[in-house]
Amino acid sequence: MENLMNREEIIRVINSIFVERFELDESELTPEKNIVDDLQLDSLDLVDMIIGFQQKFGINLRDNQEIRNVRTLENVYDLFEKLVREHPEIVEKMK
Amino acid sequence: MEKRRAAVTGIGVVSPLGNSASALFEALKAGRSGIRAMTEWHDYFGRNIAASPVTVDPVEAKKISRKIRRTMGNAALFAGLAAQEAVAQSGLNPEIFTSGRVGCIIGSTVGSASSMTEACIAEYEGRRNDLSACHFFRLMSHSSSFNVADLFGINGPQLSTNSACASGLQALGTALELIQLGKADVVLAGGSDESTPLVASSFQLLYALAEEESPEPEKLSRPFDAARTGLVCSEGAGILVVEEYEHAKRRGADILFEIAGYATNCSGWHVSHSDELQIANCMKAALADAGIAPEAVDYVSAHATGTKVGDHAEAAAIRSLLGDRVPVSSLKGHLGHTLGASGALELAAVHGMMRENLVLPTRNLETVDDCAGIRLPRTTEEHPVKVCLKNSIAFGGVNASLVCRKMD
Repeated sequence: MENLMNREEIIRVINSIFVERFELDESELTPEKNIVDDLQLDSLDLVDMIIGFQQKFGINLRDNQEIRNVRTLENVYDLFEKLVREHPEIVEKMK
Repeated sequence: MEKRRAAVTGIGVVSPLGNSASALFEALKAGRSGIRAMTEWHDYFGRNIAASPVTVDPVEAKKISRKIRRTMGNAALFAGLAAQEAVAQSGLNPEIFTSGRVGCIIGSTVGSASSMTEACIAEYEGRRNDLSACHFFRLMSHSSSFNVADLFGINGPQLSTNSACASGLQALGTALELIQLGKADVVLAGGSDESTPLVASSFQLLYALAEEESPEPEKLSRPFDAARTGLVCSEGAGILVVEEYEHAKRRGADILFEIAGYATNCSGWHVSHSDELQIANCMKAALADAGIAPEAVDYVSAHATGTKVGDHAEAAAIRSLLGDRVPVSSLKGHLGHTLGASGALELAAVHGMMRENLVLPTRNLETVDDCAGIRLPRTTEEHPVKVCLKNSIAFGGVNASLVCRKMD
């Protein structure tokens, strides 16, 4: 099935959440960055990060265990690439 | 044992007339008003109600780091910015904040009126899961206090004197008492509050709001005036650095004035009617606490908001205690009513009057009728202001009076 959202677009959307919600600079957002140690997000921020993903992608992540295991930005990009592939209706809703 | 004394070594404000104590005082001296028609509220009220809003631009807000600012509603943001100004003026060594000897006492009517409204709307629209993890912290009743404490790393006593319009003065009085008891050497104290359509409509429901649409909204707030029709909502913060006197003297701090005495009481019988007898008792008790005779008072900074009943009761109380000798004015003609911030915020102007030996008049006061028998200057008067009595009178029947004295 054709991927309705490529990795580049996913990265763009994910990064926009970090820029808007956490006042980070786009230039800081490289895949290897650890969300806590490098980007300095704390426990309150991590909850808001998930809320941001939910709002941007229109999906409920409260019961998603994989999101709790992400450590780096690359982990986040990989997870959402997988979610979009498995649930193409996400992209339909985003349009 | 002699009581420890409390000196004010820093003042900061966020107000509709400027976000610094100096900007506020210069605007008041120039007779300017912060009140305008709130066209952005037109849909809510069906007409242009007047209010006196604060402006904080995003660059200014970023003087507070994101990790503190994220848990701040507007009231706490105002308090944080005002606290930064006050602390900068005080010249305190930042290391003192983590000594356990510095406290933080800030009150407001509610933690954040705007954040509360946002939460209610999200709940009603089924979007509560969209709210930030930080949202509850913005609307908690002690939001201003804990956010300012965290801003400076304060780890001494933290209190929140949430008593509507008496919040700020009760914070300052409690700061004085903490210092007198030896439980703190420095306290950041004051009040903060927000003006929203819901806040204004709360007063409108009680017929306490000056709600007429006027081509001259700046004339709607008229404390003590015969033609007054109610209060005009305002917002902001006033934060003072209250410091044990010897502590301030030892480090060579510039002492702005002394908080010489304080009292607070309540009417015990009605939530919204001012009680002339208890207001007078409160002022008397504050003066007795200061060891200062009524004859020594140079100026009364009244609470007077422009409501018929409230101004009348306060005028009667002042008349019974001080007669018509002492000049009395309310700054709410210029500012509107900054609610929980009012007692502390207006003290920034009181300090200006003490410093420059002048008394500012009540803006928009033209005709005195039921508030007669006290001295109500119509223009700025020049004379020494050494001892000032500041009143706050709040819903719930709460009264608070603070005695401020210029130090030699």
